[in-house]
Amino acid sequence: MAIAAQTDKPTLLDKMKIEDMNVYYGAFQAIKHGSLDVPENKVMALIGPSGCGKSTFLRALNRMHDLTPGARVTGKITLDGQDIYAEDVDPVTVRHRIGMVFQRPNPFPKSIFENVVYGPKIHGENNAKKLQEICERSLRSAALWDEVKDRLNRSALDLSGGQQQRLCIARVLAVEPEVILMDEPASALDPIATSKIEDLIGELKRDYTVVIVTHSMQQAARISDFTTFFLLGELIEVGTTSEIFTRPKDKRTEDYITGRYG
Amino acid sequence: MAQAIVVSEPLERPAKSNARGRRVVDRLATGLLWAAALFVVFLLAMFVVYMFYLGAGSISWHFLTGLPTELTAGGGVGPEIFNSFYILFLTLLMTVPIALAAGIFLQEYSQTGLFRQTVQFSAESLATVPSIVMGLFGLLVFVQTLRWGFSALAGAITLTLLNLPALMRVTQEALAGVPATYREASMALGGTKWQTIVRAVLPSAVGPMTTGIVLISGRIFGETAALIYTAGTSVAHGNGAYDFNPFHTAETLAVHLWYTHSEALIPDVDRIGNGSALVLLVMVLIFNVAARVVGRQLTVRLTGKS
Amino acid sequence: MIAVRASRAHRTESLALIVLRSASGFFILSIGLLIVYLAIEGTKLFTVDHKSLADFLFSASFSPDQGHVGALAFILGSLFVTGFAIAVGGPFGVAVGVFFAELAPKRVASAMKPAIEVLVGIPSVVYGWLGLTLLVPLIRNTTGSTGFGLLAAGIVLSLMILPTVVSLSEDAMRVVPDSLREGSLALGATRWETIWQVLLPAASSGISVAVILGIARAIGETLAIQLVLGNAPVIPAGLLSPASALTSEIVMDMGGAAQGSLLQHSLFAMAFLLLLIAMGLIVLVKLVARKAA
Repeated sequence: MAIAAQTDKPTLLDKMKIEDMNVYYGAFQAIKHGSLDVPENKVMALIGPSGCGKSTFLRALNRMHDLTPGARVTGKITLDGQDIYAEDVDPVTVRHRIGMVFQRPNPFPKSIFENVVYGPKIHGENNAKKLQEICERSLRSAALWDEVKDRLNRSALDLSGGQQQRLCIARVLAVEPEVILMDEPASALDPIATSKIEDLIGELKRDYTVVIVTHSMQQAARISDFTTFFLLGELIEVGTTSEIFTRPKDKRTEDYITGRYG
Repeated sequence: MAQAIVVSEPLERPAKSNARGRRVVDRLATGLLWAAALFVVFLLAMFVVYMFYLGAGSISWHFLTGLPTELTAGGGVGPEIFNSFYILFLTLLMTVPIALAAGIFLQEYSQTGLFRQTVQFSAESLATVPSIVMGLFGLLVFVQTLRWGFSALAGAITLTLLNLPALMRVTQEALAGVPATYREASMALGGTKWQTIVRAVLPSAVGPMTTGIVLISGRIFGETAALIYTAGTSVAHGNGAYDFNPFHTAETLAVHLWYTHSEALIPDVDRIGNGSALVLLVMVLIFNVAARVVGRQLTVRLTGKS
Repeated sequence: MIAVRASRAHRTESLALIVLRSASGFFILSIGLLIVYLAIEGTKLFTVDHKSLADFLFSASFSPDQGHVGALAFILGSLFVTGFAIAVGGPFGVAVGVFFAELAPKRVASAMKPAIEVLVGIPSVVYGWLGLTLLVPLIRNTTGSTGFGLLAAGIVLSLMILPTVVSLSEDAMRVVPDSLREGSLALGATRWETIWQVLLPAASSGISVAVILGIARAIGETLAIQLVLGNAPVIPAGLLSPASALTSEIVMDMGGAAQGSLLQHSLFAMAFLLLLIAMGLIVLVKLVARKAA
């Protein structure tokens, strides 16, 4: 069932277009005929009850399912019009342009500096001065610079949970992606850390396209421009956040919004 | 909206992409790792084939049961094979009860404390003692100080010391593999700790334990350095090939293999050596397979699980 | 009536505990006796025969009939052979361990693992014999030397410690959490880059333990090297000349050593040295493990 992203600005560009995505784990179909347009430089929230496939959908966008034996992704998923699952495409390059932040902060057991410049180094940047600039820029963009600028060489594992997550965001930013995928990035954090992350997301959308999975409707309402509702592996409805939350078109969406089921 | 311009590598950023080089490195590294693993397996297969090829000709009923010769060709290794099994038997007789008891104690009773730490450390230390050093200890204490001379018992006790740590660890792991719910249920029904262990925990642990015991038996069967100067390098000819006296010298097959290549004067060293090596290899393979099969059978039998 | 039955069960329990405690204590007794006996006999060279420790450790002249008890040749032999084994078997073993943990599909792994386990079970004397019948002639034919020496012993020893290093390295890699793998790959790293830059460093303490235990096995190995080393009591002159190690020397000459003789005391001193090295390695392992925690 294809759903077009209805917007009130017909000239919005689509950064990514997903057409008829199906995801199978062995014989089990986790995503059924999902289609979605992801507008550029906006925050798109994916909401729905647990187990409905939001994370599965998200992970298909940067080919993380390639790592799961037995997982299969079909459909056409494009970035700037180019199919990311095409034959000759190296997933490594896909992940260079589409970054991901995970639910639990997962800094490497290295220093803060080494964590941030890991990506650029891998992609070939060797100039020490350049790396320091990248590090500072990314940490500033992640709203972490002031807190860690004096201890860049200390272990990343000494940071608090919220700081580690912002470090992981900085790490992704250092690679200069165009799309940032976030899988419930604040669910493991306390409320203060969460609100810092949410503020950060609001800033990020100026330069990046953000797709965020969240199990908190309030969070979706606070930070996203567009919202997509998932249920049992299907995309039920997509629209601007205000439309979805005030005038949902599908009854199932309305039931979820009003709390009929969790 | 601008149409995508098709370029040769569509998804890479053109400016400074090193993706192709990295892909090559990745494939190369993957290939090398595969090659390393396959090489090891290939090596093993080659050894096994080679040993069968060399030794098969030596195997005969006479070889497996006949007496060894001192100076002439045509000897067998009957007594040596017997001694290998006999010493294995004696060793297990002593090792299993002690290791089992200590393993139960460490795993079920004392979880912390100085005594436990000392025992654990002693076991780890015992485990790193080189086998030749253990053999010398056996030589010192049993052969010389206690004046037993070279004897099967001296060898067995030495091997016990060598293998106690391994068997204790097997016991601990087997016990750790039993779910906590079994213990809780038994205690809740009013059982004492000891009853719980004997009736509820041990039966589930018997399978993995047996596997461990059989595997360690394989190691004991092939042990050499610790036996040369404890059980000796000759067989007592008094009672024919099968001597049950633990105080008589008892050369095992593994020791014989070494002895014939180091000191012996018989002309057909190669034949004896090839045959002995093959027998040792086959026994190890049998022990390996039996360990798994028996272990699984016992688990099914005693717990109804499959 | 309940009270009576309970007390019988409790008495069994107390008895059982005594037995269990004794069995555990036996371990402490054993290692204690071992250290004491070996220390006494091992130092007789210095206490009874009044040889100097410096002589023992730093002189290469070993002929006890004439009163020379320098063990340097054997010490160096042990070190070289072990060094060779670790230099070759170490990286190889870690590589195969990484292979099993990160690359091998399940079916391939379960087909290959039994092969490694059989390698563990092969007795060291068989390894030595294989070296003697396969490797030594091979080296002799390709290099024109006798074939005996450090090279043969080193290769055999590398093979022997391989399974130990493989399984411990694999365990060390498996303990590294998946979240690190995902994090690295999501940043656009290749699998090899992830292994080399993130996983191996994260597993470094476990891998160090694997290597140290490999060294411990190698240095205590006797039979596998004695048959191919050549057993010449001289400082190793190169990879292809016959040499000797502490373990091989002990097993070679113990048979001809009269009780109480200078030779026996020398050999026991070497055994005690080996014991000290082995215990030193355990302490090292503990230190590495503690630093990781």
